[in-house]
Formats: sequence, C-alpha cells, structure tokens
Amino acid sequence: MVDHKECSLLDEHIASNQRKVSLTCVVNGVEICDTIDPTMTLLHFLRDRLKLFGTKESCGEGECGACTVIMNGKAVTSCIILAIEADGAEILTVEGLAKDGRISILQEEFISEDALQCGFCTPGFLMSTRALLDRNPDPSEEEIKEALAGNLCRCTGYLPILKAVKKAAERERKELK
Amino acid sequence: MLSRFKYLKPHNLNEAVQYLEKEEKSFVLAGGTDLMILLRRNLINAEHIVDIKGLPEMAEFEFIDGAGLTIGASVVVNTVVDSEVVKTKYPALHQASASLASFLLRNRATVVGNICNASPGADLPPALLVYDAVVNIAGPQGMRQVPLHEFFTGVKRTVLQRGELVISVQLPDPGDGDKSIYLRQARLRGHDLATVGVASRIKPDGKVAIGICAVAPTPLRLFALEEKINERELNQETVEWAAEEIKQHIHPITDVRSSAQYRLQMASVLLKRGLSHLITKEDNHG
Amino acid sequence: MDHSNYQTDYKHVGQPYSRKDAQKKVTGQAQYAIDLDLPGMLYGKWLLSPHARAKILSIDTSAAKALPGVKAVITGEETDILVGLYMQDKLAMAKGETRYQGEVVAAVAAVDLQTAEKAISLIKVDYEPLKPVLDVDEALDGDILVHEDINELKHVEGVFFPQKDSNIASLNKAKRGDVDKALQEADIVVESEFSLPAVAHAPMETHVTIVQADPYSNRIVVWSSAQSPFALRQMLAHSFKISESDIEVNIPFVGGAFGGKAGIHLEPLATLLSKAANGAPVKLIPTREEEFNQLPTRAGMRGHIITGAKKDGKITAVKVVYDWDSGAYADYGVNVGKTAVYSGIGPYDIENAAVVSKTIYTNKVFSTAYRGFGHLETHWTIERQMDIISQKLGIDPLDLRMKNLLEPGSRTISGELISESSGSVKDCLAAVVKEIGWTGRKTEEERRKEWATGKVRGKGFAVLQKAPAMPANTSTSVIMQMTGDGRVKMMIGAIDYGQGANTTMAQIAAQELDLPIDRVEVVENLSTQTNPYDWNTVASKYTFMGGNAVIRASRDMLRQMKDIAAQVLHSTADHLAHGGGYIYHIHNPERRIAYEQLALGYQYPDGSGIGGPLISHGVYMADGLTNLDHETGQGKPALVWTFGAHAVDLEVDVETGSITILKVASAFDIGQVINEKLIYGQICGGVLQGLGSAILEGYKFSPDNRLLNPSFTDNKIPTMKDMPIEVVPIYIENPQKNGPYGARGVGEHPMISVPSAVGNAVYDALGINFHVLPLSPEAIVLGILSGKESILCTDVNCLPGCY
Ligand SMILES: Cc1cc2nc3c(=O)[nH]c(=O)nc-3n(C[C@H](O)[C@H](O)[C@H](O)COP(=O)(O)OP(=O)(O)OC[C@H]3O[C@@H](n4cnc5c(N)ncnc54)[C@H](O)[C@@H]3O)c2cc1C
Ligand code: FES
Ligand code: FES
Repeated sequence: MVDHKECSLLDEHIASNQRKVSLTCVVNGVEICDTIDPTMTLLHFLRDRLKLFGTKESCGEGECGACTVIMNGKAVTSCIILAIEADGAEILTVEGLAKDGRISILQEEFISEDALQCGFCTPGFLMSTRALLDRNPDPSEEEIKEALAGNLCRCTGYLPILKAVKKAAERERKELK
Repeated sequence: MLSRFKYLKPHNLNEAVQYLEKEEKSFVLAGGTDLMILLRRNLINAEHIVDIKGLPEMAEFEFIDGAGLTIGASVVVNTVVDSEVVKTKYPALHQASASLASFLLRNRATVVGNICNASPGADLPPALLVYDAVVNIAGPQGMRQVPLHEFFTGVKRTVLQRGELVISVQLPDPGDGDKSIYLRQARLRGHDLATVGVASRIKPDGKVAIGICAVAPTPLRLFALEEKINERELNQETVEWAAEEIKQHIHPITDVRSSAQYRLQMASVLLKRGLSHLITKEDNHG
Repeated sequence: MDHSNYQTDYKHVGQPYSRKDAQKKVTGQAQYAIDLDLPGMLYGKWLLSPHARAKILSIDTSAAKALPGVKAVITGEETDILVGLYMQDKLAMAKGETRYQGEVVAAVAAVDLQTAEKAISLIKVDYEPLKPVLDVDEALDGDILVHEDINELKHVEGVFFPQKDSNIASLNKAKRGDVDKALQEADIVVESEFSLPAVAHAPMETHVTIVQADPYSNRIVVWSSAQSPFALRQMLAHSFKISESDIEVNIPFVGGAFGGKAGIHLEPLATLLSKAANGAPVKLIPTREEEFNQLPTRAGMRGHIITGAKKDGKITAVKVVYDWDSGAYADYGVNVGKTAVYSGIGPYDIENAAVVSKTIYTNKVFSTAYRGFGHLETHWTIERQMDIISQKLGIDPLDLRMKNLLEPGSRTISGELISESSGSVKDCLAAVVKEIGWTGRKTEEERRKEWATGKVRGKGFAVLQKAPAMPANTSTSVIMQMTGDGRVKMMIGAIDYGQGANTTMAQIAAQELDLPIDRVEVVENLSTQTNPYDWNTVASKYTFMGGNAVIRASRDMLRQMKDIAAQVLHSTADHLAHGGGYIYHIHNPERRIAYEQLALGYQYPDGSGIGGPLISHGVYMADGLTNLDHETGQGKPALVWTFGAHAVDLEVDVETGSITILKVASAFDIGQVINEKLIYGQICGGVLQGLGSAILEGYKFSPDNRLLNPSFTDNKIPTMKDMPIEVVPIYIENPQKNGPYGARGVGEHPMISVPSAVGNAVYDALGINFHVLPLSPEAIVLGILSGKESILCTDVNCLPGCY
C-alpha cells in the first residue's frame, strides 16, 4: 500500500543529518519560535529555554504533577511531553495566571486557605485546578479529587488545598460572571 | 535520556509505515506516557520517533449502531471516560478507563498506546478483551486485523512486525441487555498500577466473558473458565464457585507490587464482586 | 524567659495570618535551588554502585573524559574527603569498597545535563560483588563488618558509643528502678515484637545542590536545598579542612525537607566537581530515582518489648530493645538511636524501666532524621503494646493509659520531673477519644456481625511525646533592624521550608513591638554571610527557641528606642511605653515619638542627630540540659516536651484489605497557638505522612539488598484521594513557662503515633494484632487469611526487607 510518490519529503528527512526541529507555540499569550533538539521535554523547554522556572520538576515520570501546565486547555504533565509535541499549541503556565498586575482569585484562595507550605507542588496544583474550573466551574468534592490526585503534595495533607479549590470555585462563579 | 533521536510527524499513513519500515530503532509515539518513561530510564535506545498524532485515521472515535465502536490510535483515555456511549454500552471500558493512571495522564495516554505497550498490568485490555476487541493494523503489506486476545505475545511484546502500527481498536456492538464491570485493586486510592484488574461481562445471551490483568505475562481472556461457568446456571452459587475456580486458571507471580498469594486472592474477590454485581442488577449501566 | 503572665488574646500572636511568602509561591516567583541558573554553570551527574556491597576493582573514565563538553571526571580513588555528622564514617565518594546500592562511585561535570549523563554511561567500573549484610540479624551476628575500621572511627565521644568489632554504630541505654525484679513480681508479663520498614521523606524538591569552589583560594560558595545551613558550613569546613569563614552557604526557597535535608549531603561531591572543573559552579539535581537510591531515608526498626503489669492495670516494668536498621552510614541515625533511649517508653510513668537502643550498620541506603526523629517508630512499639496489654488484662485501653500516663510529679525514664508547665498528655488523650466517640472496644459478636457485611469499622487511639533531640548547648540567634520608615527586618538562622518559621517569627516581633504584621519582615533566602547562627532547622525547636530569641531582640530594640526617646522627651526610659508605632510617656501619651523618627537616629529640629540606626539582636541557648549518663541514661535531655494523642475511626474492607480512614482527631498540648492556620497545616500534613507510614509506604529490598522500589511508581505516597475524610485538630493550651507566650513546638508531632492509632483501630475492627507496618491491603488480607491473632513480618511479607 505504500505509495512512494508521496514520500519525497520523507526521503529528505531520512537523508538529512539535521536532528534539530523548529517549534512555534504560544506560551502565556506570547508567540514563541525556537529551534530545539527533539529530545528536549516541554518542561525543559519552559524552564531552560524560556526561563519560566515556575513549572517544577520533581519526578520526571508523570507521577507527581509538579510540572503540570495547561496545553490547549488540558492539564498535562510537561515532563513526559516532548517540546516539539507542543508545536502549534497554546500553553499556560503558573506565570500566566495573574492578569493585569493582579493575582487571580484562585491564587488568592490558595494563599488565604494556606493551601501550600514549601510551595514546590503549588504551581502544578494551580494549573490542574485552573483546567478543572475552566471545564467545570462547580465541581463536586469527588470531581476535585479526581482532577487533582495526579498532583502530589508532601506538605499540606491536601485538606487545605481542597478547601481552597472549593472556595475559589465559589468565588469565581460569583465574581466572574 | 541517552537516546538521540530524530523526530518525525508524518502527515499520512504511507509516510509513517514507510519510515517505520526503513529505519531501525524507530518507535511510535502516541501519548508518550509509556514511551517517555522508557526513554528517560534508558530502557530503549531510540533513533527515530514517529509521532502519529497528526494522522487523520488515528483520530477516529465513533460508535455505529450494529457495527460497534472504533477507537483510533490518537484517542486519549479521557475522551473514552467522557463518552456517554461508552458509559452505557461498554461500562467495563468506561470504568477501566476512569481507573487508569491519573486525570493528568489520561489527558495524554491513548487507548491504543495502552494496548501496544503490552504491559501485563495494563488496565484497558481486560475490558477490551471481554468485548472481543479487534486490533486494526497497518503495515508495509497493507492492513490486517488481529483479535486482541491474539495480539499480546509476552511481557511488552505484541504481534506487531517491523513497519506495522496500530490504527485503531474496534469493539462490536454488544446489543441490548449486555452488562459489564471492571474492578481493580491497587495499593492506594490514588493513581497506581493495578495489583489485579478483572473485567466481567454477561452478554445478552447470558454467557459470561472474563478478562484479567497483572496475573500473567500478558492480559488474559479466561476462555476456559468462561466455558466452565457457562456450563452452569448463572446464580450466586455459581459466582462463589467461579471465584474459587479462577485460582486454577491463573498463575500470578510475586513482585514488588504484590505477592502471588494476594493476587490470587484478589482475582477471586474481584471476580466474585463483579459477577455478583452483574447478576443482581437490572439495567446495564455499569 | 518566664512569661508568667499568660494572656489569651494577643494582638498578633494567635492570629491566623497567611504565610508571608505565599504570594511568591503562587505566582511561580519563589526560586528554589533547582531554579537557580548561574553564569558558566556546569551540570553534574554521578554513577551509583549497583551492588549493596562490592569491591571496586577498577574504574575506567577515559571515554567519559574524552567526550566533548565534559569538564571534570572524578572518582573516589582521587579523594579521601571524609564526611560525618556524629561519626566520621563516610567518604564523599566510595573508595575501594561500596557499602550500599546507591553509593556514589564516580561523577562528572559537563556543559549540560545530557552530556553529563552520556559521560556517566561511558564510565566502566569493575566490581567484585561481596556478600552484603542484609538486615539487623545478620548485622548483629557480626560475621561481616560493614565498617572494618569501626574501632577507629572518629565520633562524638561520650554521646555515641560504637561497639568494638561489631556493626553497632552506637549503643545507648537508660534504666530506672529494678526491671527484672519488677517483671518477676508482675501479675502479667507481655512480650512482643514490632517492626517497620525504611520510609522515604519524599520532599517534592530533591536534594538539589550548587557549589562554586574558588580554584585560587579556600573559598566555597554553596546554594543548596538544605535545612541546616550552619551545620552544613561547619561540616563542609571540617571535611575540606578549611575555615568556616571560607564557606558561604545560601539557602533559597526549599521544596520540602522533613529532616532529610538536615546535615550535609551532596555538597562535598559538588565541591569536588567544582574544584576539578576549575572553579565553575556545578549544579547537582538528583533525579527521583537517585533520591530514593542514594539519599538517606528513615531507618527501618524492630522493637522488642517486655512489659509487666498488675491486674489493676498499673504498669510496673518495661524493658525495650530497639534495633535500628540504619544502613551503611551513621549520619543522624545514631542520634535517632540515642533519642529512642530517653523517650523510649513513651509518655508513661513506669517505676522500673530499661531501654537499649542500637543503631546498626547494614549494607542498605543509610538513614537520617525524619520528622518525628524515631518517635513514630518507638511509639509504634509502645502504643501497640499498650493495646495488647489492655486486651490481656481486659481493661479498656483508655483506662489503662490514663492510669499510667505522666502527670505533674512523675519522672521520665531519664529522671526529669514533669511539672504543671510541662503540658498534659492526659488532656490530649481525653480530647481525642471524646472526639471520635470512644465507648469501648467492639465485642467479638459485634465484629462477627459487621464482618458479614464485608466492611468492619474500628476505632483506636495512641498518645505521643517528643522533645527536641539536640545537643545540650543548642543555640539560636536573631538580628533585627529598623528601616527609615519604621518597619522591621529580621534575619534569623532558621530555614522556612514550609513550616512557616518566617511568618511565626514575624508575628512574635509584631506582638512585641506592637507593629502591624505587614511592617515586620523576616528576610527570605538565608545566607550564612549575613544571617546569624542557628544550630539546625530541625526538631520542632524553632518556635520555642527562635521565638524566645525574637522576643529578646524585640525588647532590645525597644530598649534602644526608649533610651533615645527618653532624651528627646526629657524623661527616663522607665517612664516610657510603646504602642501603635510610638514610644510614649506613660502618664502623657501625647508626649511621643514615632518609631520612624528613631529608626535611623533622632534628628532635632536644628538638624543635629542622636542615636543611630536601630539594630538589635536576640539569642537563645538551651538552658539546663545535660548529656546523659552512658550507663543509666540519667540526665536532662529535653528542653520542652510536647505531648499529644491521635484517635482514628476507620473502616476495613475485609476482602480486599483496603482501609478507609474516616476520621482522625489529633490533640497536642502546644501551650499557645501562635498561628492557627499554620498549625492546622502542620497537623493535616503530618497526619497524612503518618498515614502513609501506617498503610502504604516502605522500602522493599531484593535478596541481595537492592532497592526494588526507587520511584514513585512503586514507592507510593498518599494522594488527595487517600487523605482522611475528616481531620479534627485540637489545640490544648497549658502554657509552657519558658516558651514564647507559653508556646511549644509541634512540627513533627502530628506524624508520631498515627500508625499506632491505626494499628489499634485495626485490632478493634478485626480482632487481629498487627506487629508490622505498613498495614497495606495486602498485609491485611494475608493477615486475615493466616488465621492468626498476631501478625508478624514473616506472615505478610513475601519479599525480604523487613525483619
Ligand atoms: C504515572 C503513570 C501512571 C500510569 N498508570 C497506569 C495505570 O494505572 N494503568 C495502565 O494501564 N497504565 C498506566 N500507565 C501507563 C500508560 O499511561 C498507559 O499504558 C497509556 O495508555 C499508554 O498510552 P500512550 O498513548 O501514552 O502510549 P505511548 O507511550 O505513546 O506508547 C506506548 C507504547 O506503544 C507503542 N505505540 C503507541 N501507539 C502505537 C500504535 N498506534 N501502533 C504501534 N505502536 C504504538 C509505543 O511505541 C510505545 O512502545 C501509567 C503511566 C504513568 C507514567
Ligand atoms: S515532574 Fe512531571 S509528573 Fe513529576
Ligand atoms: S507544599 Fe510542599 S509539596 Fe506541597
């Protein structure tokens, strides 16, 4: 079934020694064009190339959620995504949550409910929560747990985080109509 | 990661197949939730990564009355979790999907990737197996179809030959009056690989199908056990009997996740719970 | 400091202020060691021994050295930098022999991480695997010595006691009364053994370290995810035989620590790499796998306990032996072992007691401090044993405990007198049992009925105690300065790794100076170049010690302000008071001067000035502590005890073994709540960590002592789905006379005794005594299937790794 005429681009790719790939994406509303090594993860692209250090690395294997970002509206673990997979994508990181010089309601509630201690897991939790509230402004406790259980926190015991998410959802429903 | 691969995102199936055939050490990339771990731990040495997410064939996710459900190779698990038709027609698949990894992972992990990775403990195969799923494969020789129960050949091994890739997995329409359930045991409530997972199905004709993972080198459909159960009248007594009988049909191992003894015991408990649930419920909603 | 006048409503102390650094943390601005990006920085990677014990025959680094981008390659052969906190038993890199799977054998520094990783893959090491010392039994046999040179190892003498020609890094003991006689005279004698595996701290940020070692001088600059900057500086100086003042330690935000980042870890290795790379800064980022394999853990433990009691429930004798599987190096492990002696019988008043604690070398990843510092482990022994005694005597476990708990007038095993000001463990216990509605143990009949439903409820509880485990002369200090606009900046010696030290200290200063909380700031990101000394940020000691130091610094500053104000106001300092940002005359508050007018010195209308920039300091040194007598364990080790209790209500699925934690009630006598919001966080977090130890966590080793679960894939920690449905914190406030506002520390305590309470609740549910942790679904089911009433390690563990 292989139609060889269609494969000229492919031959070019095979013949080439060039491993580098070019990547265009929008990060926190800013368009980025870069040429990168294809082995680079999205996490390292954000941290090492864009110097967006808010997104953390803790396990590098999809287990902990410290590296969570929102990619095309979905919360994902950026440590196990190749940067090049984000070609054409829109990415939101923790640095993109505050707008117009004001932190968001969600961030405010994390502060006031003390949903963080060391803070290392916090960016990941915020991004998972942001994606949750964007698709479900009024999540039940079970839905919150389902959405956030992929984010590990060793400090807080999660109860303060759960409270913060509930309060943020409530406030967002009231204040952001 | 020691691999220094080239990355290709083909625009059509031909390209993908040809590339995979031509180049050694080529790996298909779907969601990457298995592949990236293998790369990171240097368990594979990849020279080429073929990202199939751009292929239009792979995006198919459709249920057709009578024909059944097709899940393309780039369809992620959360899509299946959210699907109303899966919830009502294939409850075991819905439950298995909802139990796989974490929500974050399911935004990337694909159904087909879960099969192709061929992990003994993969959550989706038991549910797919009880629905007689068929795997659609494209390769240099064209297309072929393999029943899922013949797809796995060993730990992390499948029938896929060089140059082949899976386009989709297909499930027949179970029709009305079909019931199924997927139950799993793990070390905690949060994301964890299954210690044992059991899919139980009672077909409209009353026949039972059982799929199981993490008790053998591959996920299994327990045909011999089904046959024995199907010889009996399906009632609570048979269920209790089957829960004991299953221990003769599987030979789990002891590893870091569980002892063989606990796996045997859980296989028994989960089968009992699954079948009991199915025979005592009226509708077919999971 | 005697704050004999306890108030209940303070303006700032007791307020649930949000933590001061929270905004930086929710916006991604907080910089952790992993986020630091220095000019010219190289990346380190290292090779770990795959064998638990092996001879290193040869190392070939030629290919690694030849790889473009590699700037340094080092092996243990080339260095003999000794590291050790209490025992000088560890080399920065293995030399000749490796003692655990995970020990560093070679390391590289390269221009990027990928190159470094590649270089490591090119290093070839020839090992001769040797038979490892697998566990404490083999270690105690002493056929193989983990440290052949144990008789010569340098150590802190008079505190730790390595045993000749053995694997015992330290043997500590204490006794009171005549145990053997009391056991003979007891109505019943109960003998049990309890064990638990090693458990990971699992901070979300691994031990990230950057070091720049000046090639032209002794100067070393460290940036590290560490919790003890001053201890680190001291040990690094000692290892490299340089002066402490040659070393600068910087601690940015720290992504969790829990004791695992106390002391010194990757800093010597990073220093060696930086030196070898001609002084470039070298960054080491341990992967999660390296964190598990290489970096220290909480020790596994086995406790053997014999208790004698009278029929009425009075416990007359207890004899305990703790064997700590402390792994290949002593680190903080020996101090954990020592602590287990003076705190080793729990908060009970028992006339005749004897405790022996052995910190034992084995060929496993070594152990260190972990939240609770041995107390979770010792209380697993003590508090399960109490339940078993109550079963045997047919006495309600609440009554049994109440009859034997410490109270004013009691003495601890080391002879300390408990007073009204020590806090009350009885108050804590009473509060938690009330909260879960304890009405006595389930009858066998009730159990059977519930069993038929497949799910059985159980309730259990356990008490706890802990005092800071620290040297008798531990001290801390604080520097306070005022800015020209009347605000206060403080530098403290402790690290805020999430426990909230910076916020708590700011509150205390705000209270003392009567300033709004937003006018008081604790300077973030500690540097040993500027911040004053603190011993270690460990042991739940800082609220107490740091709090006292801040009070002193504040009062010193007030005194300075009053001295100047007295001149300006033509009065004397003792006629002046402070409040609302002013120094004012007590009889005429309108005669006043604002702080900001004094901050940089007071300026008269003619332009001349008096005074000068306001700078004050406060120190606190532990007071009245002594080393313990080696033979009897008598002495004064505890600066302040914090007592507590947990009660647990749970449900067991008897077929799958899964446990659902319905409710945990936790009470601590903390003397005075300084910030409820922060304490609540400590309790929720500590309880969940305790539950992790109780039902989930633990290292598993292969028959040749290889770690089988060095990843979050198989070394799980609880997720949001695993938290208890309800956590009820209860704060008991019996003030501590010498504590700041009566307060005591509570950082570690929420974790202690959680497994004990769970184990007791599981007994209530199933009528089975589990003697081994974790109470995993598998352990529960295999325990039930075994048909036994007491479940030991061998009953539920098909893999080795426990005892
Ligand atoms: C933290 C974590 C938790 C997890 N938990 C679970 C769990 O609970 N249960 C479970 O079952 N799994 C779990 N997994 C494994 C994984 O998420 C699933 O197996 C997932 O479904 C794989 O899909 P993917 O799209 O990510 O596959 P990929 O990683 O992209 O691919 C997996 C393998 O299949 C091959 N492949 C993929 N697509 C094709 C194709 N179309 N044709 C031919 N070959 C192909 C790839 O080359 C690769 O070898 C977990 C993984 C992680 C990281
Ligand atoms: S760092 Fe990505 S999931 Fe842990
Ligand atoms: S706040 Fe420290 S890990 Fe969550």
